[in-house]
Amino acid sequence: MLNIAITIAAVLMCLSLMLNLWRLFKGPSRPDRILALDTMYINSIALIILFGIFSRTTLYFEAALLIAMLGFVSTAAMCKYILRGDLIE
Amino acid sequence: MLHLPILPILLPMLAAALMLLPPLSQSITRQRLFAVTIMITLVIVSVWLLLTCHQQGTQLYVLGGWQPPFGIALVADRLSALMVLLTAILGLGAQLYACAGDDKEGMYFHPLFMFQMLGVNGAFLTGDIFNLFVFFEVLLIASYALLIHGGGKQKTKANVHYVILNLVGSSIFLFALGILYGTLGTLNIQDMAMKVVSLNEQQQALTKAGGLLLLVVFGLKAALLPLHFWLPKTYAATSAPVAALFAIMTKIGVYSILRVHMTIFGQDAGALAHMAIPWLWPLALLTIVMGTIGVLASPGLRLSIANLVVVSVGTLLLAVAIQRESATSAALYYMIHSTFITGALFLIADMITKQRGKAEDRYVIARPLQNPKILGIAFFIAALTVVGMPPFSGFVSKILILQAANSMRETLWVWPILLLISLVFLVALSRAGTTIFWRAAGDNTQGKPLAPLKCIAIALLLGASPVLVIFGGPITQYTQLTAAQLHSKAPLPNSKLPIKKAKEMPTGQSHNAN
Amino acid sequence: MNLLWVVLLPLIGTLVPLFTERFGRNICAFCVALLPAWSLILVLMYAPDIFNGQAIRQTIEWIPAIGLEVSFRLDGLSLLFLLLILGIGLLVILYARYYLSLKDSMSRFYVYLMLFMAAMVGIVTSNNLIQLWMFWELTSISSFLLISFWSHKSEARKGARMALTVTGAGGLALLAGLLLIGRIVGSYDLDTVLASSDIIHAHAAYPVALILVLLGAFTKSAQFPFHFWLPHAMAAPTPVSAYLHSATMVKAGIFLMARFYPVLAGTDLWFIIVSLTGLTTLLLGAYIALFKHDLKGLLAYSTISHLGLITLLLGLNSPLAAVAAIFHIINHATFKASLFMAAGIIDHESGSRDMRQLNGLWQYMPYTATLAIVAALAMAGVPLLNGFLSKEMFFAETLNQSVLGSLSWTIPLLAVIGAAFSVAYSLRFIHDVFFNGQPVDLPKTPQEPPRYVRIPVEILVALCLLVGIFPAFVVGDLLHIASFAVLDHTVPVHNLAIWHGLNLPLLMSFMAMVGGVILYYNRRHLFEFQSHFDTTDAKHIFERTIQSLVKAAESITNTLENGSLQRYVFTLLLCTLVMGGLPLIELTQNSGTRASIPLDGVTIVCALLMIFSAVATVIWHRRRFLALIFLSVVGLIVSLTFAKFSAPDLALTQLSVEIVTIILLLLALFFLPQSSLKESSNRRLSVDLLVAGLIGCVIGTLCYAMLTTPLNTMSDFFIANSKTGGGGTNVVNVILVDFRGFDTLGEIIVLGIAALGIFKLIANMRIAIPARDDKGRAWSNDPHPMMLEVVSQSLLPLALLVSAYIFLRGHNMPGGGFIAGLITSVAIIQQYIAHGVQWIKPRVTIDYQWIIASGILIATATGLGSWLFGQAFLSTWFDYFSLPWIGKFELASAMLFDLGVYLTVVGAVMLILANLGKLTTSERLDIQENN
Repeated sequence: MLNIAITIAAVLMCLSLMLNLWRLFKGPSRPDRILALDTMYINSIALIILFGIFSRTTLYFEAALLIAMLGFVSTAAMCKYILRGDLIE
Repeated sequence: MLHLPILPILLPMLAAALMLLPPLSQSITRQRLFAVTIMITLVIVSVWLLLTCHQQGTQLYVLGGWQPPFGIALVADRLSALMVLLTAILGLGAQLYACAGDDKEGMYFHPLFMFQMLGVNGAFLTGDIFNLFVFFEVLLIASYALLIHGGGKQKTKANVHYVILNLVGSSIFLFALGILYGTLGTLNIQDMAMKVVSLNEQQQALTKAGGLLLLVVFGLKAALLPLHFWLPKTYAATSAPVAALFAIMTKIGVYSILRVHMTIFGQDAGALAHMAIPWLWPLALLTIVMGTIGVLASPGLRLSIANLVVVSVGTLLLAVAIQRESATSAALYYMIHSTFITGALFLIADMITKQRGKAEDRYVIARPLQNPKILGIAFFIAALTVVGMPPFSGFVSKILILQAANSMRETLWVWPILLLISLVFLVALSRAGTTIFWRAAGDNTQGKPLAPLKCIAIALLLGASPVLVIFGGPITQYTQLTAAQLHSKAPLPNSKLPIKKAKEMPTGQSHNAN
Repeated sequence: MNLLWVVLLPLIGTLVPLFTERFGRNICAFCVALLPAWSLILVLMYAPDIFNGQAIRQTIEWIPAIGLEVSFRLDGLSLLFLLLILGIGLLVILYARYYLSLKDSMSRFYVYLMLFMAAMVGIVTSNNLIQLWMFWELTSISSFLLISFWSHKSEARKGARMALTVTGAGGLALLAGLLLIGRIVGSYDLDTVLASSDIIHAHAAYPVALILVLLGAFTKSAQFPFHFWLPHAMAAPTPVSAYLHSATMVKAGIFLMARFYPVLAGTDLWFIIVSLTGLTTLLLGAYIALFKHDLKGLLAYSTISHLGLITLLLGLNSPLAAVAAIFHIINHATFKASLFMAAGIIDHESGSRDMRQLNGLWQYMPYTATLAIVAALAMAGVPLLNGFLSKEMFFAETLNQSVLGSLSWTIPLLAVIGAAFSVAYSLRFIHDVFFNGQPVDLPKTPQEPPRYVRIPVEILVALCLLVGIFPAFVVGDLLHIASFAVLDHTVPVHNLAIWHGLNLPLLMSFMAMVGGVILYYNRRHLFEFQSHFDTTDAKHIFERTIQSLVKAAESITNTLENGSLQRYVFTLLLCTLVMGGLPLIELTQNSGTRASIPLDGVTIVCALLMIFSAVATVIWHRRRFLALIFLSVVGLIVSLTFAKFSAPDLALTQLSVEIVTIILLLLALFFLPQSSLKESSNRRLSVDLLVAGLIGCVIGTLCYAMLTTPLNTMSDFFIANSKTGGGGTNVVNVILVDFRGFDTLGEIIVLGIAALGIFKLIANMRIAIPARDDKGRAWSNDPHPMMLEVVSQSLLPLALLVSAYIFLRGHNMPGGGFIAGLITSVAIIQQYIAHGVQWIKPRVTIDYQWIIASGILIATATGLGSWLFGQAFLSTWFDYFSLPWIGKFELASAMLFDLGVYLTVVGAVMLILANLGKLTTSERLDIQENN
């Protein structure tokens, strides 16, 4: 039962990843692309958690945690870049 | 001293770190004193190491006490000890020169210099090929930083080339290591040499690819044709003490070729024996030719010297390619000779450049030098050494290599080329010297008097040349023994320090971490 | 007594002038002369033994690896040359004392001269081939220094360089020849070599060795076609010309031929090469000498001609001819040295050397004129002078040969013609200079020179007379023992007498004399005839050749090393392709026996995403921001891949490195043009694409072959010993901090250096801020949005907590100092981004370089700690403890090491990023923004 749920979730996540990449590819504006990337980070978190549940291990949760944290920093940095150009003023 | 083999690595490491911290980091004078003291200690330690290796045989130092091939081992044999000593003396010369003022032209000169020494010594001492890669990285990254010392457009441009090429080189290095680890299953150089015999056909082909890729990497480092293009302008552009120190950098490439292609893929390597030699022969000869053409074409002294470096690499690798023990011995002698003389020449060229105003080191008519006597004598001695004229070390190394080319084929290739390049050097350097020292117009009243430290530095490096001749007997004896050691395949000696009792390897299938 | 001192004394003498110059010129010259005089006395003390037919030897081992020994021998030939070198050398020292003007540095001159003398002495006494060559080259070097003594003159510099090049080239040939002889004989010992004549003659390499040695001899002795350097060497001060270029150095080549006469001569090849070269040189030199207006030029060509004569004699392969050659060496040295000295006096006293200006000097300097005339007559071969005797012997020998078979009769004829020219130019020297009217436009009024400067000339001229009148008494014995050495102990009967009766040689002498007078009488016609020929100066040809060589070299270098990084990288990649690809051709099967892991949908999707993003990065590389975003996707999926294939440590590391890299690139991106121009042509692009594609194929094949081959590595050992030996269950971490901790130490140092290097590069850099972004939009006005500030600030403690957690569990679970360090840095960087540099400044006062240094120090000190326990560097320790409430926990030295890693990473990342952020000034130019 769990496996079926995991499979369905994984398929949806992959779909979402692909759609995000499409958005990233299409644009048209930079914020669109940054948002697409940010969403891909979130999709990845989901994929990693799913994989952890699937293989019955908590080993990967730190990876998810890190993506969450670092993904935010990355997105924030990119936003700062398009707003001000200079990251650190 | 049980820890002797690691001292040449630890000393500069600690020194560099300490110089980044107060109280040393705040005063250049304190840094100079400290750095020179460390360097002199390093020379003493290197001499000690050389004597130990010479008298007691190869020294093994097992890091962390993990028995090789599992842990990293430092292997100080005659060759390593020789290279370390060479580096230490060259480093001392370059450093003394820098202490006369060049070290103030940018930040962190002394710490970076020490890091550079650390990297070079590490590369010479390690017996583990991945560790060699690590030390390559250390010395490369330090060299990137040192190359731009003093700043300026020329340096930055040359450095960009140098950095990018070496980054590509580093990735190839890693790649080759991956292949070799995949087929040989070990990273310890001695162990690789043992395992290389028992490969199946498929593994052999892969291993060959790995070994040849390493040749590319080391060839790039050594500036072997066609990978030498980066060298002349880079060396000519950088500041003098750095250029002098870099006289050892190309030798690291040659050293690594010796280690990999003589120890691992040497005569006992079965189907893979001597796989680099068919490439080395023509490439080394062409390197010599191209370097010589470069010397002739150079419009300025520093570029000429940089091209001389290329020639010396070619000559060295030619001697390596002959594969005979006497040739290796000749190569080692030549290595000592050319390292010191190139270092000295870069320093001399710098002093000349600084006294000639806008003409710098170019071969044009310019204001006369302020100290034509001292610089003239220094340049004259250096030029004679490079050309291979007696009574300086050049002629001994030339004769050694000529004599080592024994067979008909070798003689026909090596003799004409080596003798002709001597003639070209004679023409080029006599032209350079007469123009710089004698074709002068006007007076020279500007500029400062000679810094004594700079003269000491030059004297130290230049003095090596007559010393190499006067003590030619014992030195050639040492290089012969070193060559013999390189050509024989001796098992690693026992470690003097305790080794951890390692658990037996499980016989089952290998599984991944965690 | 010690033979070594004969060489050592002049060698030490090179230092004497440096110390004695301050005491005045007389004392200096006197002191300089002392050591060679002492050396000469030593030689004379050995002389009786030599005359008894002994040879004295002395050998000290030096560099056995190249067969070099300090080895000297004194035999008849050496003795003869030593007397010439030291004797004339002393006279030249005296002569130079008066010749050099006050402007010239006396010490420098004497240093060079003594160096040369020592080298010459070394050549003639060497008993080791390599040592002989050493001294040989030293003569070339000292000759270079002496010719260029007046270095401000262009012709001195050029002449010196030419002499050095030609003799240097000859020296190299000689080296090859000597090494070859050494290889044939198996020893570089001259005694052994001289005793191995049969082996050498029979060896296949004999012709090569002969030609190489002769090249050395001919270049040194200015034999055709290498004679051209000698006239240009006349730019040297006259004492030098007298000493080097007439009496000694040019004789070194002759000496070499004489020395190796026993082993190299006696074959047809020797005969043809040596005698014909000598003959050509003899005629050419004599002919050209007549047309030289320069006094020294005339003497130079005359020297060439006489050297040719000696060479011809040596080439005749007859013992008597060899004796004649040796005799002529002595005679030529005496009369030519005195002539040069006389020419020097004339030049010195009248200010000119041009024979069109110098006329009628007899009236002004009758004494000097007398001396010069006697010497010139000796040169012409007039009876009762030494030149006559050796010339007689020469004529006799030319009659005794059969070089050219039935055409051999031409040789005596040519010899007479040569001698006639010799008489003609001698006459010209005498008549033009001392008689023939009045001087024309001389810079100075000529007068007799000081007393002392004439002494050397007097001595030499007296010798010419003495030898000429009492030959057997004066030089008979010397000639005998010298011939004894050259001819391998069998000296033919020869008769040194003035009168041999009316014979053919005498007739030839007479014919030459008459011919010479006729030639001189008709010289105007000859001059006119000669003026039809275009005489190009050897100097110009030489310089032009060198120039065109340099030009050719320049064009080759400029074509190959064009400074294009693209080309260099291309070459590197091409090499990689060849070296990596060639062995793959031998590989018959690219997949191994290892079973592959089953595929799943998610993996395939991820792989596709990664491929797509990677390709997009490349295609859009000129739109940098976009490329960067795609690069982030690649990085993200790589870390997912690591996680999927059981490498959580790598996944974590990849992620944190990824973010730091993106921030770094964003920082740098700001300073670059937002989009770059297309720099490569389509053709170039397609070539690059081809190479990249091929490399991709090779690397792909290699990877596939590697990954499908069963692995048999030492990783099993690490897994087995991680817990028991390293105290950690996370093998990756134990490998990093324990098994291969040394690598990690190296890598954190790399990181630290990188940070220092980047800081060094940008420390003094200030870059102007673009007023608008690439689309021309104005920047946002709010540098630190409040939302960002608040969120970032609350992120900091959380991130630090995560960082500490990751650090502490590292030894047993995924994590460790490296990842923890990156997380901490990212958290701090976020504060920089959110709050700006000014906000951070008062809050973080520590210098980042200190953090790097302490990190390295902590890691190193951890390693050093094991020394206290008698263990190797970086040996680790761990144990388990338990505390109330906390429970059982582990303490390991590896954690301290990891702390060092952590600190270095934090310090390095912060040093780079924070300082990259400081490149711009804080103020933005509002005026520009409002435009």
